Amino acid sequence: MASETTLGSGRRNWLPAWLAGDTVQGIRRQRMVLGVLFLLPTLIGLIVFVLAPIVVAVALGFMKWNVFRPPEFYGLKNFTRLFQHELVGNSFSNTFVMMAMTVGMLEVFAISLALSVHRFARSRLAYIFRTVWFLPVLLSGVSVAVTLSYLFHTDFGVVNYYLGVLGIDKVPWLVSSDIVRFSVSLATVWRNLGFTFIIYLGGVSALPQEILEAATVDGARGLKRLWLITLPLLSPTILFATVIDVIRLLQFFDEPYVMTRGGPGDSSRTTVMMVYDTAFANLEFGYASSISVILFLIILAVTGFQFLLSKRWVFYQ
Amino acid sequence: MGHLSRREMLQASAAGVAGVAATALPGSVSLASAPSQDNVTLRYQVAWPSDYEAVLAAYSEARPNVTLEIISVTGTDHQEVATKILASLAAGTPIDIGFACTEATQLYAGEGLAAPLKDRLLDNADDFKEYFADISPVLSETMLFEGEYYQLMVDWNAANMFLNVNLLNEAGLEVPEETWTLEDFVGYARAMTGLGEAGDSFGFAWPNRLWGGWMPWIFVNETNILTEERAPGGEWFWDTFYADDPKAEGRGGGYRWPEPQANNPAVVEALEFVVSMTAEGVAPTAELGFSENMAGFFTNNKIGMYPAGGFFTGFLLENGMEMGDFDVQYWPKWASQRHQLGVCGPWLFNGGANEDLAWDFANFSKQREVMELLAFFSGTTRTTPIRRSMNNAERFANTGPANWHVFYGTADERPDTGPIPAPVFSVELSNIFTRYTSLAVSQERSPQEALDGMQAELEDLYARNA
Repeated sequence: MASETTLGSGRRNWLPAWLAGDTVQGIRRQRMVLGVLFLLPTLIGLIVFVLAPIVVAVALGFMKWNVFRPPEFYGLKNFTRLFQHELVGNSFSNTFVMMAMTVGMLEVFAISLALSVHRFARSRLAYIFRTVWFLPVLLSGVSVAVTLSYLFHTDFGVVNYYLGVLGIDKVPWLVSSDIVRFSVSLATVWRNLGFTFIIYLGGVSALPQEILEAATVDGARGLKRLWLITLPLLSPTILFATVIDVIRLLQFFDEPYVMTRGGPGDSSRTTVMMVYDTAFANLEFGYASSISVILFLIILAVTGFQFLLSKRWVFYQ
Repeated sequence: MGHLSRREMLQASAAGVAGVAATALPGSVSLASAPSQDNVTLRYQVAWPSDYEAVLAAYSEARPNVTLEIISVTGTDHQEVATKILASLAAGTPIDIGFACTEATQLYAGEGLAAPLKDRLLDNADDFKEYFADISPVLSETMLFEGEYYQLMVDWNAANMFLNVNLLNEAGLEVPEETWTLEDFVGYARAMTGLGEAGDSFGFAWPNRLWGGWMPWIFVNETNILTEERAPGGEWFWDTFYADDPKAEGRGGGYRWPEPQANNPAVVEALEFVVSMTAEGVAPTAELGFSENMAGFFTNNKIGMYPAGGFFTGFLLENGMEMGDFDVQYWPKWASQRHQLGVCGPWLFNGGANEDLAWDFANFSKQREVMELLAFFSGTTRTTPIRRSMNNAERFANTGPANWHVFYGTADERPDTGPIPAPVFSVELSNIFTRYTSLAVSQERSPQEALDGMQAELEDLYARNA
């Protein structure tokens, strides 16, 4: 018996010998090569646009480079410096505080909205609500930030004008270190709410109606039903939305950069702003890369931690 | 005559631009060297390409083999533009000619990015005598760095005091005299506060930035956040181009700012003054991210006085004000009446393959007839022309301000006027300056504490760049 089963002959003479045989092994090889060819565009994209920049950024973290002169190897100096640099620590702290505030508000508002809008699921109003709430996502972050800067301006802003009508004193939305992070978070929530809302609306729409109806029959209503039945059923969606939002918001940039430039002082300076200023204002590209590498690792760790914790509170049916 | 179709109108416009360009050429415009016959593309970085259409058309007439590719880089101020250009260079985008202002002049020169122009200027000295004779030595000095010369200036701006005439009238005041003082200014600011239907106007406002923020108050208090001195050298420049100008005497090889002094008593006094204006309710809080837009409130009569240069005229007219609604005056006198300024112009990429051709274009562009083709000098004037002869009554006749002579007078009549502090690391310096300013104006730190913090960071900055 021959070692390779012959299935046909003479049709693929242009192929190399190891690939051309009309045998089971030959066909396997051909399928493998075809698979690789189909994957190649994606692989090239992945290497050029994802892996290579990550590798270059990590490598630059060990260099000293100011654009004008060639990079020189700098060892671990960038990393040791950033752990002693008060501004860097402050920027990480700001980022986490603003991320926590923004994600908290986003999830609560988005879940509430999704549950409310779902009530109109069979009505035309659902289309209107979905569209209206999603519209801010389509706007540029910079445009939104500029507009909201006007609204939040201490002396000329519309927000303080209406607060004044109600007899409330001017609030220094963007010029007080105590308030500025909340103001910037509020602006970010306004622009991003639609995205998180759409995720939750999808989750709410997919909730098993028989369980919800059974809970109602058993007497679970209002907040009790929400807390004990709806939210646990929605937990996989909550995990997905919070993971996505935390990753995005640990890279906070547009709103604080345009609205406050990190001020007053450094009270709203985020890590990505720190990276940007370090690279393009201070011309310390190596140091900026080292900060971004640490940010990357922190995002990775936070995401891993979220998945680890999810085993305790996420219920998959 | 029948109506023109849109296509015909566009064709006519294009022909018009070419026509203007062509009429500018014969006899009046010269080109220094014989052009190469090879097709070449020059990459020129500017803010708004539309401003240069007529100049490019004129240059194309003279150099049909040269294609000028315009790379647009815009920003809220020149510091931000410099930051973006650096980002672009870091990304590997090459340029042959850049456009920079004082904020970045020493950065590009000091890092060897901009080509020194001494030899080229001396080789064409006769041609350039006319150019420099039309420019105040106060302005030319800012383009010198360590005895070398780097940019062919196009425009400049000093921070003068713009006045809202509508609010002045409502307060029953006249435009102040040229030699008005700090006390006069405070009186004006108070009088213009709380006016308008809503009673919510402020007498004065300022943006939180290096140029034209509270820096003018530092200058008129006869101090600076950095010590200031003149570099040696530059005799070749002054002897060749300003030999007969008494205002050029004593000038050297460019400005140096050897060390920080942000917390010296005079600087603290200047910051205390602007903070007190906000505390008193005469000035709104200068917010960091928002401050660039504060100027907009001048146009709807919410602000009485605002620091700006000739560029503000165009801004006000484009935003709804009319001739007579605004005027300008020198900055009020405190310990002195020394103004702060910034000067802009093209620089050539050092060692680039097209450096000779880039020089050819820059040389071509410095001629008055060519400068007149720039869109920001035709129609509404959107910045102050570098040439004295272009700052004339005709230019401002239909737009105002009535005191237009103040713009160039700041250099000619106040020759102690100097550039904002802009050493090689000026972008980082500017960030430090605005950050600590924001802490003082938000009253989270006293001016002394804020400036002590600024001084400490500036000392660290100097140590890192030693």
